[in-house]
Amino acid sequence: MKAFVNQKARTLDEAVSLAQDAIRAGQSVSFAGGGTDLLQLMKDRVVNRPGSAEPDVLVHLKTVAGLDQVMAGGGNDTVVGGMITLSALSRHPLIRNQFTVLAEAADTVATPQIRNTGTLAGNVVQRPWCWYYRNGFPCFKAGGSQCFSVTGENQLHAIFGGGPSYIVHPSDLAPALVALDATFRIVGPEGERIVSGSDFFVLPREDAEHENVLADDEVLASVTLPTPRDGVRSAYQKIMDREAWTHALVSAAVVLEMDGDRCREASIVLGGVAPVPWRVPEAENMLAGQRVTPELAREVGAAAVAGARPLSKNAYKVTLTRGVVERTVLRLAASA
Amino acid sequence: MGKKRTDLKDGVSRRAFPIPRSEDTLYEDEGGDRDLTRRGFLGGAGAALVVAGAPKLGSSEHSSAGAVEQEAPAVPQTAIRITVNGTEHQVNVEDRWTLNEFLRDHIGLTGSKIGCNRGECGACTVLVDGEPMFSCSTLAVWADGRDIQTVEGLESDGTVSPLQQAFMDYNAPQCGFCTSGQLMTATALLVDNPRPTSDEVRSAMVGNLCRCSNYNAIVEAVLAAAGTPGSGGAP
Amino acid sequence: MSSTRAAQQAGQQVAAMDTVGHDVPRIDAYERVTGRATYTRDVRLPGMLYARVLRSPHPHARIRSIDVSRAEALPGVRAVVTHETHQLIYSSGSIAGGQQYNDAAKDMTEHVRYMFDNPVRFVGQPVAAVAAVDRYVAEDALQLIEVDYQELPFVLDPEEALEPGAPPIWPEGNLALDRDNQPRPSSRTSGDPAAGFAAADQVFEDRYTTAFVQDGQMEPRSALAQWDGDKVTIYTPTQGISNCRHDNARDLGLDDHQVQIICKYMGGGFGDKNGSYYFDLIAAVLAKEAGVPVLLELTRKDDWLGTHGRWHTVQNLRVGVAQDGTVTAIGLEGYSGMGPYLRRSGGIAGIEAYACPNVERVIYPVHTNRMVSGNFRAPSDPQGYFAIQSMMDDIAYKVDMDPVDFALKNVIRPTDEVRFTNYSLDECIMRGRELFDWESRWRPVPGSDPGPIKRGAGMAFMAFRSGVGPSSAIVRVDADERYTLFVGVTDIGPGAKTTMAIIAAEELGVPLSQVDVVWGDTDLCPYSVGESGSRTTTMTGYAVVQAAIDLKRQIAERGMPRGVDVLIASATPNPSTEGQRRMVFGAHFVEVEADVQLGHVRITKYVAVHESGRILNPRPAKDQIRGAALQGLGQALHEDLLYDARSGHPLTAGYYGARHLTYLDAPEIEVTFIETDDGYGPYGAKTVGEAGIILGPAAVANAIFNTIGHRMKELPITRARILEALA
Repeated sequence: MKAFVNQKARTLDEAVSLAQDAIRAGQSVSFAGGGTDLLQLMKDRVVNRPGSAEPDVLVHLKTVAGLDQVMAGGGNDTVVGGMITLSALSRHPLIRNQFTVLAEAADTVATPQIRNTGTLAGNVVQRPWCWYYRNGFPCFKAGGSQCFSVTGENQLHAIFGGGPSYIVHPSDLAPALVALDATFRIVGPEGERIVSGSDFFVLPREDAEHENVLADDEVLASVTLPTPRDGVRSAYQKIMDREAWTHALVSAAVVLEMDGDRCREASIVLGGVAPVPWRVPEAENMLAGQRVTPELAREVGAAAVAGARPLSKNAYKVTLTRGVVERTVLRLAASA
Repeated sequence: MGKKRTDLKDGVSRRAFPIPRSEDTLYEDEGGDRDLTRRGFLGGAGAALVVAGAPKLGSSEHSSAGAVEQEAPAVPQTAIRITVNGTEHQVNVEDRWTLNEFLRDHIGLTGSKIGCNRGECGACTVLVDGEPMFSCSTLAVWADGRDIQTVEGLESDGTVSPLQQAFMDYNAPQCGFCTSGQLMTATALLVDNPRPTSDEVRSAMVGNLCRCSNYNAIVEAVLAAAGTPGSGGAP
Repeated sequence: MSSTRAAQQAGQQVAAMDTVGHDVPRIDAYERVTGRATYTRDVRLPGMLYARVLRSPHPHARIRSIDVSRAEALPGVRAVVTHETHQLIYSSGSIAGGQQYNDAAKDMTEHVRYMFDNPVRFVGQPVAAVAAVDRYVAEDALQLIEVDYQELPFVLDPEEALEPGAPPIWPEGNLALDRDNQPRPSSRTSGDPAAGFAAADQVFEDRYTTAFVQDGQMEPRSALAQWDGDKVTIYTPTQGISNCRHDNARDLGLDDHQVQIICKYMGGGFGDKNGSYYFDLIAAVLAKEAGVPVLLELTRKDDWLGTHGRWHTVQNLRVGVAQDGTVTAIGLEGYSGMGPYLRRSGGIAGIEAYACPNVERVIYPVHTNRMVSGNFRAPSDPQGYFAIQSMMDDIAYKVDMDPVDFALKNVIRPTDEVRFTNYSLDECIMRGRELFDWESRWRPVPGSDPGPIKRGAGMAFMAFRSGVGPSSAIVRVDADERYTLFVGVTDIGPGAKTTMAIIAAEELGVPLSQVDVVWGDTDLCPYSVGESGSRTTTMTGYAVVQAAIDLKRQIAERGMPRGVDVLIASATPNPSTEGQRRMVFGAHFVEVEADVQLGHVRITKYVAVHESGRILNPRPAKDQIRGAALQGLGQALHEDLLYDARSGHPLTAGYYGARHLTYLDAPEIEVTFIETDDGYGPYGAKTVGEAGIILGPAAVANAIFNTIGHRMKELPITRARILEALA
């Protein structure tokens, strides 16, 4: 790795202003939480920030006090600090009980060693794992102007929402957060802004280079989870091509608001299939007000993939998605 | 603040070949607390190269001068305080050193291995405040103030831990290269969960690959150390 | 110790011995569990520099020019080498016919590989190397080397590489040169295949493919070189210090005694570091230039692309079968992807486990612009066994036979022409069937479970070489009755040091605690054939026995030494089995549970029965089989190296890319040994470690067929492929 300076920020404002200073000085800067993925990108000299593979400055966010807590927000909401580790998140009783899908998603990330230091924010904003991008091909994600997967090896790429880049969003927490209607609090030089899930993540057709709206001098400071209504239960199902330690081939974050054995309302957000966490409203609407039978679950699965546009080598993901949605919806509806 | 020069040899395992480097230079002078962080000297993108000439603290392979000048080092450094296997070190580290590099190359603890240096194999696992982490995937500066335990720190008074003994009895090391990392993860597991099931062992240790694929023997060793013999593996 | 011949006999129970046959912890277990074991990168020498290698980003290119001036000028850089500064032949990197132990072949090979080549022929091939005061400077220096490449057309697929008009990697084209430097396939015919096919009631044809699998040993390779006058010491992870010394001496233009190879601990071998590697040469050359020791470290990606893996294959099989299920003829046309340099044979094994005398085998080792293929644990076998045993399994169903019955009908057996030192293949199969409870687990109609969760069972069997051959050992005793054993082993994982000590203790009739082992240093140890090809236990172990016998004779004649005197015995036996085949036999039975809706497969039962002669140390032997079987499983379900066709660039190098098995992927493997003593080897011991990997892919594939009712003909059998097959 090239030499860089590690800056310890004591407050979020200081972190932001350290980043600004660096940018103004013509340096490239990265924020670091657990830094596990950041370090690999740096070692491999993969372009992470526009125009630069290797940051001159790291602003370490773990030294900012209070950024890793789960707290009550205004109006009964729950605020989860961006620097909470994945281990702490998955163990937290409130998250386990009320926001199960988020705890389960955190549990599936990588390995215990990574979860012990990796953070919520880091997981949500991690760069894609497309093998072209990670092997240094000059693609959209590296600031280039093509996507190599389209006519190449696209087994792991998008079946929804792709174009001009066909990456899949690599985060497990992201679909869970979107399914929980989380809002994202961004802190930057202009202050803070609150952004919905659908606004936080961006499709390649809007911005082929970035996966989210964060600027270089902005931090994902926290997410806010609205308190679930009575009868809400949730689950995360992740399909991998080995038993662990892999990004999702397909995943489903499902939140069901149950009234007895009827589903009042459903949230179904998919991971591993699109450049952003992929909501499937047609499938969700099918469940509204219905008793969840195996037949309905099958139809919901089919509806979830109705708009799928597979590439040359990833049609199996359509089958997989249909199966995962069907199974998870049925299992969750049936769980006590 | 009472910064003291600590004896590097404390807590450092015996090794076949001593590291002949001016290890003294890692330490703060007494009575001085200098902010050794450097900002901005590297200029813009493309100036990725080390500035000519200035000797680097801690990399003494080429240092001919006995006393190293404490002038502006070429590479950003930070003073940290870190406890390793019970011994506190106050050292200057380059910001870019991974924790693994610091342990292996600068305080001579070569028991933690590099298998991939990319967080894909677990061979470098150490305990940071009791929790397993990939030492290749975190920086030494980020370990400031923390308590690190490596494989060298598992024995006490020359006696191996019950887990190490179980590893020996159950043939847990084949080529042995993943063994240090496996031991650290398993040590933390048994503190957290003294009587794990076989499935719990596997889940807890999933972040440690073994290419010899000696997984089943290692699980048996861990269960034996926990006092719950595993399936098909009684000695 | 009695050595009764057990020819043609199966399952002879062996008598217990004093030290042999009891669980013995490794003699270096303490070092391994305390972090004291010194692997190559743990060695520190005064003034040591760090080196990095610049590698080709192109699959095929001519280097028009290379400018290292900016790299040389970087402060902290002490040496830079390229193909322009040094033209060393890397003689074990490309060998006519792929004969790795044949010195004469290395001298006459026409396709020569150099330490640095021009043109470069695969992404990852070394182009230049830098030694500097630390790794950071070395890495920065690489960035400053300017190479002007002229890109050339390339080819990645072995079948495409043989088509007319394919980009030629060598002047003769892309078929590798045989031991006579001729571009000819390896052709072997036995019996009368034409007659055999004519006599068949049905002839079946099919095509199977297997993927490239990187060895993936946990220790990334390195080499640390230090000169002392005209002698060089190289610390390097090697399975064969003697061969490594010999190869490196040749390439450096030195005599063997001017090269010292040291490897005390090696983090995994799995084949093919039984000799030198180019990075030994690069380190030596940099150290000579710089005048100080140089440690060359390969990053994991360097190692992945810059060493080797199991050759991928395409196999077209043709099998003739009579009405009663007897196989009458077998034909194989095989293509092995070897990369641009023929390092090893490219063979495809498996057919020899069948009795059928009419066999026609034509195998094309083909050059491609992918990374180099080499030996990985039973180099020719898992690929071949997967194909032929899938094919035979398929045929069994088509002729309405239980696969186990079909196997027993067609396995190789002793005949007047085919003689074994002992034979137990049928017993392995029958024992496995019983232990596994084949009758309950196997579905007569494949895929017949209602689903979506289905189960089924499959099996495969093998006969694998466990030859005898030359190796050396020295044993010394002193006045304190301490015995020191000198053997040229490294101990890549199976516990060779311990095994050798056990043998010595047994033969000398002393407790193991009185035996010390000196190993891993060519200055101290005698020749060893090296730990590959299943040689250590049988060959070096046998040499230990002979040396111990000689020492006992000396003690009997002269009495124990007194004072500072010692007695020393050395032996370099070269036994033969007098025309008999010496094999290990085995059968693996696997039960699979598949979720056909999600394409997911898991192993619910795995039984491995092996006859490996006398087991010298039970626990490590069992773990060798368990570990090897899991490697086979990884190969069956996950491992591959994907290339981007347009750029020739590999996309999935590394542990994550290859999806290596984790704890949660590893099922229990139940191992049963049938012990025998055929009178050869040390106390009848045979190879254990290598054979365990052979049957995984075949047995798992056959189980998957029985479970889902579809024949998967490509390795790895991934989730995606299963879903596509069932769609």
